[in-house]
Amino acid sequence: MRRSDLGEFEEVVLLAVAVLTPKAYSVMIAEELERETGQTVSTGAVHAALQRLEQKGYLSSVLGEATAERGGRRKRIFTITALGGRVLSEVQAVRTRLWDRIIPNVRLEWS
Amino acid sequence: MMFPPRWLDKLLLWLIAPHLREEVLGDLHERYALRVERLGERKARRRYWRDAMAYMRPRFIKRQPSLYTSPSITDMLRNYLKIAFRTLSRNRLYTALNVAGLTFGITCFLLIGLYLFDELTFDQQHSKATRIYRAIQHKKTPVEDLTIAASSYKVSEESKQRIGEIENSARINRTGRANLTNPENKNSFQETIAFGSPGLLEMFDFEAIDGDSKSALNEPNSIIIVEDLAQRLFSTTQVVGKTVDFEFGLGRALKITAVLKNHPRNSSFDFNAIVSEATISHDEEFTAWTSDWDSQNFLTFFLLKDKANPDVAARKITNLLHANSKREPGTSISYSLQPLADIHLHSETIVDGARNGNVEAMSQGVLLYIKIFALIALFVLLTACINYMNLATARAANRSKEIGVRKASGAFQSHLIYQFLTESMVVTTLSFLLAVLLVNVLLPAFNTFTNKELSLDFHTDYRIWALSGLALVTTGLLSGSYPAFLLSRFSPLLLLKNFKLQNKGDWSFRKGLVVFQFTISVVMMVATIVLFQQVRYVNNKNLGFNKDLLVVVDINSGKVRSSAETIKAEFSNIPTVKSVAVTSRVPGEWKIIPTVKIRPEGNTSDHQTAYLIGADENFAKTFEVQLVNGRNFAGMSDSTSVLLNETAAKMLGITEASSQVVDIPSRSMGGSYRPLNEANKPFKTRVVGIVKDFHFQSLREKIAPMVLAYQRNPVHNIDYFTARIEGRDIPATLARMGDVLTQIDQTHLLEYHFLDEQLARFYAEDRRRETLLIWVALATIFIACLGLFGLATYAAEQRIKEIGVRKVLGASVLNLTALLSKDFLKLVLIANGLAFPLAWWATSRWLQEFAYHIEVEWWVFVVAGILALTIALATVCYQAIKAALTNPVKSLRSE
Repeated sequence: MRRSDLGEFEEVVLLAVAVLTPKAYSVMIAEELERETGQTVSTGAVHAALQRLEQKGYLSSVLGEATAERGGRRKRIFTITALGGRVLSEVQAVRTRLWDRIIPNVRLEWS
Repeated sequence: MMFPPRWLDKLLLWLIAPHLREEVLGDLHERYALRVERLGERKARRRYWRDAMAYMRPRFIKRQPSLYTSPSITDMLRNYLKIAFRTLSRNRLYTALNVAGLTFGITCFLLIGLYLFDELTFDQQHSKATRIYRAIQHKKTPVEDLTIAASSYKVSEESKQRIGEIENSARINRTGRANLTNPENKNSFQETIAFGSPGLLEMFDFEAIDGDSKSALNEPNSIIIVEDLAQRLFSTTQVVGKTVDFEFGLGRALKITAVLKNHPRNSSFDFNAIVSEATISHDEEFTAWTSDWDSQNFLTFFLLKDKANPDVAARKITNLLHANSKREPGTSISYSLQPLADIHLHSETIVDGARNGNVEAMSQGVLLYIKIFALIALFVLLTACINYMNLATARAANRSKEIGVRKASGAFQSHLIYQFLTESMVVTTLSFLLAVLLVNVLLPAFNTFTNKELSLDFHTDYRIWALSGLALVTTGLLSGSYPAFLLSRFSPLLLLKNFKLQNKGDWSFRKGLVVFQFTISVVMMVATIVLFQQVRYVNNKNLGFNKDLLVVVDINSGKVRSSAETIKAEFSNIPTVKSVAVTSRVPGEWKIIPTVKIRPEGNTSDHQTAYLIGADENFAKTFEVQLVNGRNFAGMSDSTSVLLNETAAKMLGITEASSQVVDIPSRSMGGSYRPLNEANKPFKTRVVGIVKDFHFQSLREKIAPMVLAYQRNPVHNIDYFTARIEGRDIPATLARMGDVLTQIDQTHLLEYHFLDEQLARFYAEDRRRETLLIWVALATIFIACLGLFGLATYAAEQRIKEIGVRKVLGASVLNLTALLSKDFLKLVLIANGLAFPLAWWATSRWLQEFAYHIEVEWWVFVVAGILALTIALATVCYQAIKAALTNPVKSLRSE
């Protein structure tokens, strides 16, 4: 699995899906990311990322129920696939390994 | 207002791929609701906009490939075309009728269109055409009201210097005619003497084939000539640097500095040669002109700067004139600027100034006829369209099953409309192509007839093709639309249940169309007959003199003029010459006849106006003009005597000629009235006789007052010999007359006209219109008959069973023919009824143009009506008789 397959934003979105399951859909994800990062995140951008991830096979989706504020339109609920889960943990493993190799006093200089 | 705005949602719905629409819009709305709660409405809105924008990217817009490929537009179009061709080739007769009708219609339309286009684009070949204007002087004095296309030297020169709007000016001044000779081979031709300023070449794009076309008029003693004249003089066009003699008293040779291409036919300019103005700018006569603000000697063009307002410029010119020239009380002069493009068609009330009375005016078009012909062209095309509509709707019953099946298997109304429109477009396109071919076959003849150089090929102006294309599409849609919308309307159930499409409204609409066609045809027939009669009438009318066998010989040199008496005597000695007269102008004159102010002596009322011709004692005898009172000129002693025509005598209150003294103080050669001499002493004349009125102008004009002065008069020199000759051996007579002239003046060319031919030229345009109208009328009637033939064929086909039964029960062929024909003849009769008043009104209006004209007589209508009926009957009868003769067994045998 090449690293380039997962962009940074995609990775964050994928993580957010994992966090929000079973109620992960674009509005919720965008709101979550806004809360976490403090930056505006448009549903469009999230939606696009979700579609890309789905194409890559990291996510699967079903149409969920409709609500009044959506004007009676259904939402698309995303769940993470096994492949998606594996990729996420791989990414995490890479990062943890690298983190662990940082000399402790180097890290202190930044904080 | 509700937020989010509906249009934004609509836009998104339209933009975003169908399979994503639901979730995307839902997301947007939900997020908006959340944000309203959290951030308030204003912020939420702003965010909403940004979110919405975020969806406008290819990822969301791109459509998902569908499992079933939807057919492309061309598939259906191909099908329409295929069916169209099948239907058309199955009904060969009707297709042929339609194509023939439309081909003729479009051919007429294209020919007339080309003609009109040419007339309407006159003088636009110059690149600065939109900025070029002709100066028009409006002069009002108590005695005259003149609009003349002329200005003075000062006005044209100073305006260029002092008025900001004006970039350049050009002048032409035409003083008369003289022989232009090639000194090497003595080839010699009478040409108009015209002087042009350098601006003329700078402003207009006259293409040079030899020499420089921009600076050729800068130097004195230079002349530019056109290709055709170069060819005649030198037999080659590469003649720059050679010299020619122009015999107008210059005494020196002129150097050719440029040879211009011949003028295109749609140019108002028709000069053959122009001499640079600098050549004569130091002559005495000319220097008098250059310091003058008031003269009308120069035809002047101004080139305005980009976006300059011509009205403002004209006002400034008027102000400039007023500031520099005193006006007599009661006189007003102003200038206006006429766009170059308007000169050809909008100059009816403008006198062509800057021309000597010996020079012909610029040729002009008549706007009225342009309009009439445009209307006729449209009518012919419309007639052809109607044919198509009629046949298509009439034959719809045959196709009701097809339409029914199509509808039953899911065709929308729009599909059927497209189907029928495709069919009509195919027919029209085919006809159009044939028409273009036919036009190219006919154009050579058409060009000779209209005296133009029209063409319709790849080099033709793109605007013509664009307009033709537009006409093609319009024709196709127009002829196809009615059947298309009518036939696609019915319910499939009715169509399949053997429903007859012959509903009443439809049939009466078709009747209306046939009536319309025949109305147009009959109007055209009546118009043609009336035009024909009027032209014959003007050619045969008793003009008050005998125009036959009169030879008019121009006097083109001073030598000939001073030896006029000798030449007259010599001419009379030729045995075939009966009598000879000298005159300043002749009846039926094509050049300007001077007018004079005239008043009986002692009378203090305003002067009156009369035409004046100088003549001699032989005038009455030669022209066979009748003397009704008093006596003829007696000879040289009569130089102050005048004859009046009856109209002039009446105007001056003279009943008996008894040497009443009449004053003639001033004359005009088309421009303003000028005193006859410096001292402003009137020419005192005695009225010695009165002649019967004779038509000295075209029959469009009423006979005007005319003074016949003696040949030596201070108003106008003699300019012509007129000889009444015998009808036998005319070439020999002419040769001997030529010999007489060359004995007096070796360089003098015999330039002659037969007066009757010259008179016929007044009506040449009418004759041209007559011919055109005859052809168009024939085409219209032919097209209408094609349509009628089609309808009759169809009617006979429809009623074949009825005819069979009637025949079995004993109806005669005559009965049956009448049965089938009467429906159609009724229509033609109604058309006659409509056409007669219309034709009467139109032709009477036209005849008003002639002061002397025929009355439209009742038999003209009868002839036109009977002709239309006969033609229609012949068309219908063929089918009716054929149907009536069919063996009833054949038609009744099978159901």
